[in-house]
Amino acid sequence: MKSILHLLGQSLCLLLLVLFTSCAKQESGPEKKGSAPSDASPEETPSPAPESAIPGGGEWSTWGRDASNNMMSPATGLPIDFSAGDLDDDGNAVDAKHIKWVAEMGSQAYGTATVKDGRVFIGTNNEKPRLDSVVGDHGIVMCFDEKTGELIWQFSVPKLGAGKVSDWEFLGVCSSFTVDGKYGYVITNRGEVICLDVYGMSDGNDGPFQDEAKYQNGGLEKLEGAEPAELDDKSADIVWGYDMRSNLGVFPHNITSSSVVISDKYVFASTSNGVDWSHINIPAPYNPCLVALDKETGELVAEEASGIGERIMHCNWSSPGYSADLAGTPTVVFGAGDGFTYGFHASEFDEEQDGGETFNLFKEVWKVDCCPQEYRVDENGEPIKYATYPGPSEIISSPVVYNNKVYAAIGQDPEHGEGVGCVTCIDPSKGTGEDAVVWQFKDVGRTISTPSVVDGLVYISDYSGRVFCLDAETGEQYWEHDTLSHIWGSTLVVDGKVLLGNEDGEMVILKAGKEYEELTIVNYPAPIYATPVIANNTLYVMTQTHLYAYQMGGE
Amino acid sequence: MKLPLRALLVLLAIGTAAPVQAEDIHQGNWLAWRGPLQTGVSLESYADYEFNEDPLWTDDIAGRGTATVFNGRLYTWGYRGTGPDLEEVVQARDEKTGEILWERATHDFISDTIYNRYSIGSVAIDPETENVIVATTYGLVTCYSKDGDQIWEHSMIERFGRLSFPNGRAGSPVIDGNIVIIRGVTSYWGADGPARDRFFGFDKKTGDLLWSSTPGVGPPYLKDSSMSTPFLETRNGKRVFYAGTGCGNIVCVNVFDGTPLWRFQVSKGGLNSSPVIKGDTLICLHGKENIDTTEIGRGFALSLPADYDNTGGEVDPVQKGAPRLPETAEAWRNRLEMFTSSPVLVDDKIYQVVKTGSLVCVDANSGEYLWELKLANEQLHASPVYADGKLYVPMFPGDFYVVDVTGDEGKIVNELKLDGNCVGSPAICNGRVYVHTTEKLYCFEIKNSGIQWAEAPATVMPEAGEPTKLSSIPVDLLLTAGSSADVSLVKADGNGIPISEAGVAEWGTFIPPTAKVKATMDAAFEGNTISAKADAQLSAGAWKGTAEGLTGFVRGRVISNLPYTEGFESFEIGEGGFAYPPLPWIGARLKWEVRELDGNKVLAKTLDRVLFQRSLSFIGHPDLSNYTVQADVMTDGSRRIKSVVGLINQRYIISLVGNANIIEVSSNHERIKESAPFPISANVWYTLKTRVDVAEDGSGVIRAKAWPKGEAEPDAWTIEVAHKNAHKKGAPGLFGFAPQSQKSVFIDNISISSNE
Repeated sequence: MKSILHLLGQSLCLLLLVLFTSCAKQESGPEKKGSAPSDASPEETPSPAPESAIPGGGEWSTWGRDASNNMMSPATGLPIDFSAGDLDDDGNAVDAKHIKWVAEMGSQAYGTATVKDGRVFIGTNNEKPRLDSVVGDHGIVMCFDEKTGELIWQFSVPKLGAGKVSDWEFLGVCSSFTVDGKYGYVITNRGEVICLDVYGMSDGNDGPFQDEAKYQNGGLEKLEGAEPAELDDKSADIVWGYDMRSNLGVFPHNITSSSVVISDKYVFASTSNGVDWSHINIPAPYNPCLVALDKETGELVAEEASGIGERIMHCNWSSPGYSADLAGTPTVVFGAGDGFTYGFHASEFDEEQDGGETFNLFKEVWKVDCCPQEYRVDENGEPIKYATYPGPSEIISSPVVYNNKVYAAIGQDPEHGEGVGCVTCIDPSKGTGEDAVVWQFKDVGRTISTPSVVDGLVYISDYSGRVFCLDAETGEQYWEHDTLSHIWGSTLVVDGKVLLGNEDGEMVILKAGKEYEELTIVNYPAPIYATPVIANNTLYVMTQTHLYAYQMGGE
Repeated sequence: MKLPLRALLVLLAIGTAAPVQAEDIHQGNWLAWRGPLQTGVSLESYADYEFNEDPLWTDDIAGRGTATVFNGRLYTWGYRGTGPDLEEVVQARDEKTGEILWERATHDFISDTIYNRYSIGSVAIDPETENVIVATTYGLVTCYSKDGDQIWEHSMIERFGRLSFPNGRAGSPVIDGNIVIIRGVTSYWGADGPARDRFFGFDKKTGDLLWSSTPGVGPPYLKDSSMSTPFLETRNGKRVFYAGTGCGNIVCVNVFDGTPLWRFQVSKGGLNSSPVIKGDTLICLHGKENIDTTEIGRGFALSLPADYDNTGGEVDPVQKGAPRLPETAEAWRNRLEMFTSSPVLVDDKIYQVVKTGSLVCVDANSGEYLWELKLANEQLHASPVYADGKLYVPMFPGDFYVVDVTGDEGKIVNELKLDGNCVGSPAICNGRVYVHTTEKLYCFEIKNSGIQWAEAPATVMPEAGEPTKLSSIPVDLLLTAGSSADVSLVKADGNGIPISEAGVAEWGTFIPPTAKVKATMDAAFEGNTISAKADAQLSAGAWKGTAEGLTGFVRGRVISNLPYTEGFESFEIGEGGFAYPPLPWIGARLKWEVRELDGNKVLAKTLDRVLFQRSLSFIGHPDLSNYTVQADVMTDGSRRIKSVVGLINQRYIISLVGNANIIEVSSNHERIKESAPFPISANVWYTLKTRVDVAEDGSGVIRAKAWPKGEAEPDAWTIEVAHKNAHKKGAPGLFGFAPQSQKSVFIDNISISSNE
């Protein structure tokens, strides 16, 4: 048993035993596949060079810190005795140790915070209204001052008239804000890719987009005819916007949920294309699940046409990654709604003529089925039903690029509960399909957590509440820890530690490395669905309702 | 259709002041899922208690609800099979052996239910008649005799415009006196066109509608259905029930006439937990956004008003619904968060399982936390049940706990791993514990050397006052052309309590001053019998009856005989550029509009109505069978974006799926979903013809063909789907699905005819 009284906001002090199970689970090794030298023992496998320590950790400018989506930080000096304190009526975290500031979110917040150029960006909903002109349920991106936590500007996105199957109430903006110089990119709850001026309106209304007042009431789709809202000096400055729903006809399932990744020229975005309320019917089966937009203009550059749409199990919620040189090719890495991870060429596209129009299509460099065949069909060759415990899963977490390999994990909407999972290590230099599979680890459950790969070790948590440490070269398991609570967020590896939040509102801190050790648990008064982030000597922990910024000990 | 006079029966059943219900009825019985006190508490205690962890018997049938027991019979509700053959099954068993005495199966049709979310609820038992009543997620409400004979049935989707939701939460029927209360989000006709979470009071013996009630509010608060079970009591001289709603309210409604008495807006989304009453306090909880904080979920207690005619609340001028209790009614709150499980009330303590899988004990008087026990990493739906100092707690992952709660903290005394997920709550009766999982029905034994039953408080029904109005039975009519029906009139007091039968009334048409469409039924009263001629037209309207100085109202629809056609050219386009669709169509007013398109008046699907992205509307009688529906159909759109337009024929949806370029036959996508290629261009009219034939052996064939409008009808059917256990009847209707509410669809030249 373990206590959740901290979650319940209970001041009554009851001594409850908090037990955590852990074990050094060695006996159930991974299934090795392909021709990779996976038989080598961890000792024999040359470890990659230790990550270079950067005091303070530098900035965290996109969902996965950088385009590799590997959630680690080179920071040092992380104190592990930080605490949540008690929230008072003014929103202060009283007696919170190492607290720098705390900011109130709405009632739900999911993406990771991003930090760049003295600003902190976060997506949430409007249940803590900050602008008078924004009333009721909206998707919100907040921009805070990195030093003080004061709101600088807020981007407010109206909800879709389509209802919950495409824009679930109160989920807010689930996408993390990707910053690139003066501009930043986010995918809204309306399925729009929006480029914002990170300086807001303080330097004037950057364009070409000038209809911010109408956008606030109509979004891009209903801009014409929308009543202009009365903008605030804290309203956001839209530079351009691309509506994936009305331009591409995609059907985001429940919410548009992923974050963009950028290259030097392009913004790559998942469309969240998925099934409808029936969870079987795919309303847009021939419409793209991944697109590339021109970073400067927002114009459509290329779209996916690999047939993912026809094979969607549920949705395309995974945030893509990018590598300028993955086995010699600039590659967009996309964990798709059909359970495959795709490597698409990131700068060369196939041109196709159809109906008098020209379409640029993503060129497949490689693709690997990350959902084991035994999850797809049973021993009689019959398809195993989706959303059942032993059934197939798509990819929701982000595949991670590390040392020219890709690490991808399958999972499902948390609403579907627990089930079998798998982590796949892919070596694109070996080709495509099974040839590229280095190993698969199947003792993990379904997960929507993104792996962290640091110093030759993979850390991966699952929805059931466990976190595993695996050898990055062989997939061998070193240890496992059970937090006894659902996990939505991902591991952050920093300063020799693994940080991981769970639904019970616990920030679990384990020792990084092959030897298992639980260091501490920090309790919060609300569930933690986001991944902790470190930037510029500050640790950010986001619960469903608050963003806590902690001063770290380093420079 | 001729209905018997039944007012006297009603009076006999309800009684004018039927003061006390025999409470020993609960000894040895478990009549409803929340138990004899409606609080999740058993009255049983045991000498020489010992819980046997080895089940007495099990049965391999999936279920997500709670068993009920009466007179030696165990009633369970489960489901079995896959694909088109999946069926929900009501089973009557011998309580002692578990042997099945009879079973009755039903099949899903046109619902949105996903992932086999069936049988969430329980079979309600009427101890007076020994009849049992069950309500399915696809809207079938069926009353069976104790021997399994069907007594009456309503298809709530086709008859009252019930909406369907993927969650499968239908809620259990609740029986009080002569009334069975059913709930659901509906979009009916006239003033009941807007989608609201409504309650329906039916005569438990006949299925006649006695009242419908709309105590809650609409979007944006109304988001989906609720399964909160009404809690019944007599208070302030009224018989009332309290329940949570899909619009985030706790509502209080008069049981006798459905009058909404008050509501308390708690959250911005559905409230599925069932409330309990402790003294003058109502206790409940929810798991959605709070109305007044940034946190999700809370436990709360409301101080009940001392006068239900003067609660101090006012009707919100915009949202409407029942008068809204002031915020000061809230006695306490805490931070319990749970979306569906319900509290268990034992003396001064509340036991509650919460979302993150803990069992929590709080002080019922203050809401203060006393202890908690982590049992799993999540919980869904199931609530604990208390008996003799112990809680029986099923947890979603399949763990089943017996927890001793007699001390200062909960202590696990038994821990079992069951097959499947535990979604239903246990039932405890005669020393047996029944637990249904998604794989099995378990019967566990509490070994003992004697069972004692605590005395249940007597149910005191309110006494009737002076007659002030007439109650019409039924209050809603559905006539086919050429049929007639009797309307019984009962004199009732201001609280709707029946007093005596009224005589023959004088009837006149009644058009509410607020009616947006002024219309009358194509029928006439003679005495208390209303008749529609053989050539009566599809029509709807209301009547006012006056007798002995009292008045009452009834409304209804007339369904014309086949063939039926509608081309919309007679409609007058009004302000706003549209006309309302035919008033008697079910669930049509806010889903469709008559508009002019290229000089032609057609039916157009509305967009941006959050609960109507997928729209079903019904034209005819639910009992119709073996007919043909044809219409011209078109989707707006572009090369990339098209919508879905179709027809409903005998519980099958036959549609042109624009983006997929197919013609599809479906009836719940997990049950029946067959298609054939058919290229569909946006903004091009097609003629769609559908036909269903059911053979004597119960099998059926659904046929459909489509062709560009104006071209010759092809000889061959485009698609033919055989269905072994075919739907035997169903109302014809229209279907539209505009993905993302982006592109409308259009329908014109509808015709419905009997199969040749």
